[in-house]
Amino acid sequence: MSCGVVDEEEFCRCCRLLLQHSNGVGDGWSWEAVRGSDEGYLKKTLLRSVPAERSVPQKHKEPGSDSEKFDYCHLQTEEQEKQGVDASSDSLRPDAEEEDDGVCGAPAGSSSVLQFEYHILYSCSYRTPVLYFRASTLEGRSLTLEDVWRTVHPNYRLGLQSRPLDAITQQEHPFLGQAFFYLHPCRTEEFMKPLLQMARDQNRQVNYVLSWLSVVGPMVGLEVSLECLKQQQLHPTTPQQLRVPLRGSIQQPKTL
Amino acid sequence: MTSDISGAPPSAADLKLQFAPFSSALEAGFWHQLTQKKLNDYKLDESPKCIKGYYYNGDPVGLPTRLTLEFSAFDVDAVTPARCCPAVGTLYNTNTLDAFKNIDKRALLEKEAKEMWNAICSGAALKEQSLLSRFILLTFADLKKYHFYYWFCFPALCFPEGIKIIQQPSLLEAVFSPKQVIALQEAYDDLCVTKGNTAVPYFLIKYTDHTVQMAPLEDWESFFTMTKKVTVGFYDPCTLSQHPGWPLRNLLALLANQWGSKLDVVEVLCFRDRTLQGSRSIQHSVVFQIKLPGLSSNSGCPKSVGWEKNAKGAMGPRMVNLSECMDPKRLAESSVDLNLKLMRWRLVPSLDLDKVVSTKCLLLGAGTLGCNVARTLMGWGVRHITFVDNAKISYSNPVRQPLYEFEDCLGGGKSKATAAAERLSKIFPGVNAKGYNMSIPMPGHPVNFSQATLSLAQMDVEQLEKLISEHDVVFLLMDTRESRWLPTVIAASKRKLVVNAALGFDTFVVMRHGLKKPPASRGVDSSPSCSSASSSPSTPAGSAPSVPGSSLFSNIPGDKLGCYFCNDVVAPGDSTRDRTLDQQCTVSRPGLAMIAGALAVELMVSMLQHSEGGYAVASSSDDRMNEPPTSLGLVPHQIRGFLSRFDNVLPASLAFDKCTACSPIVLDNYEKEGFDFLSKVFNSSHSFLEDLTGLTLLHQETQAAEIWDMSDDESI
Repeated sequence: MSCGVVDEEEFCRCCRLLLQHSNGVGDGWSWEAVRGSDEGYLKKTLLRSVPAERSVPQKHKEPGSDSEKFDYCHLQTEEQEKQGVDASSDSLRPDAEEEDDGVCGAPAGSSSVLQFEYHILYSCSYRTPVLYFRASTLEGRSLTLEDVWRTVHPNYRLGLQSRPLDAITQQEHPFLGQAFFYLHPCRTEEFMKPLLQMARDQNRQVNYVLSWLSVVGPMVGLEVSLECLKQQQLHPTTPQQLRVPLRGSIQQPKTL
Repeated sequence: MTSDISGAPPSAADLKLQFAPFSSALEAGFWHQLTQKKLNDYKLDESPKCIKGYYYNGDPVGLPTRLTLEFSAFDVDAVTPARCCPAVGTLYNTNTLDAFKNIDKRALLEKEAKEMWNAICSGAALKEQSLLSRFILLTFADLKKYHFYYWFCFPALCFPEGIKIIQQPSLLEAVFSPKQVIALQEAYDDLCVTKGNTAVPYFLIKYTDHTVQMAPLEDWESFFTMTKKVTVGFYDPCTLSQHPGWPLRNLLALLANQWGSKLDVVEVLCFRDRTLQGSRSIQHSVVFQIKLPGLSSNSGCPKSVGWEKNAKGAMGPRMVNLSECMDPKRLAESSVDLNLKLMRWRLVPSLDLDKVVSTKCLLLGAGTLGCNVARTLMGWGVRHITFVDNAKISYSNPVRQPLYEFEDCLGGGKSKATAAAERLSKIFPGVNAKGYNMSIPMPGHPVNFSQATLSLAQMDVEQLEKLISEHDVVFLLMDTRESRWLPTVIAASKRKLVVNAALGFDTFVVMRHGLKKPPASRGVDSSPSCSSASSSPSTPAGSAPSVPGSSLFSNIPGDKLGCYFCNDVVAPGDSTRDRTLDQQCTVSRPGLAMIAGALAVELMVSMLQHSEGGYAVASSSDDRMNEPPTSLGLVPHQIRGFLSRFDNVLPASLAFDKCTACSPIVLDNYEKEGFDFLSKVFNSSHSFLEDLTGLTLLHQETQAAEIWDMSDDESI
C-alpha cells in the first residue's frame, strides 16, 4: 500500500474482516458470490427515512415536465378513475362497517421511506473499491438519477456536483448487468493517499475498505459507525491472520 | 427516553391497547418474479398461492412497521434473512382489474380469520406459530402497461371490548436492571440456538433480579406453574415507544382463548433488537402490563380486521407503475440514453445531448446512404427519423443497405421508405420512424405530360414542402444530382439545415449547405463586409470577408457557405438519360457509403453542438491544430474523401450568386411563384435556370470553348 490504491487480494481480505464484524453485530453486510467465478461483492440493504422535500416528488408539477413520470400518486388516482377503481365503492371497503379501534394512528408523514441497496465491488481499472447502489420506494419502484440526487443531503450535493464529473452517475452493474448508480472512483486514490500515509506514520493498520467506506458512504446515506472504525480486529495486522473463505461460510451468517 | 412519536398517552383511566399495523414493503424483484410466475406458471390460474414475507425488529426509530416481500417470496422454502421473522401468506392474483375490484375482500379476510381462530381453539397455533402472522395479498398485474395493483391484508382477531392496559408501556431499561437486560439478551440468543433459528417470534419469560429464563411458546404448561402474572415476549417489528406491533395481536387472542380466565395480569415484552453505531442493543424494547379478557371458543370467531390503508390513508388498493424498470421498450430506451450519457459523463462533459436527441431528421433517399445515415442517427439517440424514397427493394440491395433483408425483395420488393421505417422500429421501438413512398420532381424531368402527372407533381412538391417544414435537418442522400435540386431550394427558403452526401466510385463529398440569414434580417444586415452574394453581379465568389491576411476560403461564416450546386456552372438536368445501365446504378466501393453516411451524421452533430449551429464558421483543414470550436471538434463545410489514398480534406466554399439552387433570384422566384416556377424548371431544359441566374451570360462572357459536365455522380 505504497500509494492510495489497493490490490484485489487485499480488498477481499478487508471485506472478510468487515463481514466477520458485521455478522457479529448484525450490521447487515453479506457477500454475494458471482455464479461460476471467484468474484463477488459486499451487499447491504438499508431503509432510509428521507424528509419529504428530499424524497420522490408526490405532487403533480408542471404537466409534461420530467417529474410527471415519477408521479405515481397522480397516476394512481388517474388510473383508478379511468378504470373505475373507486375507493369508495363498497366492495373495496372491507372494513367500512366496523372501524378498528385497536390501531394506533400512523405518525404524521413528513418523511418517506426508501429502500437502498449498496454493493461494494472491486475496480480493476482504478484498483480501488467502488460503491454501487440503487434505491426504490416501498412499493418497489426504482428511483431515477434525478430522484437519487434529491435524496443526497444538500451539504454533500454541492460538493459532489462541483466535481468535474457529476460524482453520482449511472452505470451498468458489472455482474448483474442492471442499471445502478455509482460513485465515480476517479478521486478515490486521491483522498485515500493522505489517509493511508497518516496511518503509516502513526504505525497503525488500516482496513482500506472500511476507511474508504467511511468517506464515501455517508454521501449516499450509508453511515459507518465510529464504533466499527475503532474495532481493532477489523484492521488487518498480518496477511495470514484470516483464512476464512469468502464463499460458503460467510454467505449464510448463522451466528448471533 | 427516546422520542415518543405517538404523542402523550391519554389519561390512564380506561386505556385500551393499540397496535401499530404493518405497512407492506415490496422490492422490485418481487414484481419481476410475479411477472415471470404469471407469464410462465400461473397464466390464467387464479387459485390462491402460498407466498412468504418477513419482518424485522431492528429498525431505527421513525421507520414504519414493515412486512417485506422480495423476489424470493414465491419460494416457500427460501431462507429467511438472518434475524428476521418469516410470515406466510396467500396470494390472490386476478386476471382482470374487474376481478381485482369485485373480489369479496370481507370474505377473504373472514376466511383467513376463521382458519386462524380454528387453529387457536384447537391449540394448533401454539405449535405452529406462523399461523398467527399470516397475510393476504391481492394483486392484479397489468403486464401491458406494467402497472401493478395490490392490496395487503394482515388479519387480526379483535377483542370486542378491547384490551385494558394496567401498566403503561415503558422502556426495558427503565424496568430492568442492566444485569437483567444482559441476562435477557443471553436467554434470547440461547433460545434462538435451541430453536435453530436467528429469530423467534413468540416466547415465554420468567425472571428474578439476577436471572432470566426463556422458553418457547409451546412449553407454556410446563414453564408457567402459577399464572397470576405471566410474562410473554414477542419479536416486535414496531419502533413506536407507546405501541406494540401487529404480531402481538393474534398472540393475545391465542392466550385469551387458551388461558384467559386463569390469567390476572399479562406482562408483555416487545422485543426489539437493533445494531446502532456498530453495537447491539435491546434496551429500547418496551414492557407493559394488560388485563386479558377471555375469548371463549363457544362464542364463535371474533371480529377481524386487517386490510391495509393506501398511501393516502384511505381504505383502498395501491398501484405501482413499473413500466420504467420493466417494460423492455422503456429499458431499451433508457439503456440507449445511458450509453450516450456515459459519453457525456466520461469524455465530453459539455456535450448537449438533448439537442441531438430532439433533432427531427428527414432522410431523402433510403438507399445505401440513407440506411447508413439512419443507423448512425439511431446510435446518437435521435428519435425522429423520416424516409422519403420512391424505389422498391431489389435483390442487390440488402448486402449494401443494412436495413433490408432478402425477404424484403420478394414479390417485386417492398417500398424502401416504409420498409426502412419499419426496420428502425424493430431495431429500437423507441424511435418515431415514418416512410413516404414518393418521388421528388427534378429539373429536366418533365411533369407536364398530362393534367394528372402535373397535379401528381404538385402534390409531391407540397408533401415535400410539408415534410421539410416539419423537420430540423434535411439529409440529401439520393443517387442523382438533379433530385437534390428541389429539396435544396425548399430547405434554403425555409432556412433548414441541410447535410448532403454524395458518392463517386472511391470518392465522396459530405457537406452542409450554407444556412441563409433569416429573411427579415437580410435587408438590415447589409454592411459592406458581409453583403450577400446578390449585390456583386460579376464575381462568382461574391465578396469574401475582408479579414486581413485571410484567404478567400477561410473563416467563411455559415450563412455565406455554398450549397451543393454552388460550384457548378451548369444547371441540373436529366443525368440518367444517356447513361448505360451500369452508370445508372451507384457504383462505388462498398465501404464508401458507410464512411460517408457516418460522416454526414457526425457533421450534423458537430454542427448542433456549435453555439451558432448552422451559422458556424466553416473549419478547414488548416484548423486541425487550433482550438476546436465545439466540444466535439471542428465543424467543416465539406469533407471530401479519397478512398484510394485513405485521405480526407476539409474544403470550404462560398455561396455562388448565380447558383441554380440557392441564389437569391431562384429563391425569390420560388417564394413568389411557387409551383408555377418549379414546373417551368421541371419541364424546361438546362437553359431555363441558366438564363434566370445569369449563368448563360457568364458562359458567353468567359467564352469557354467547352464545359465538360464533369460528373453526374457528384464526385469532384
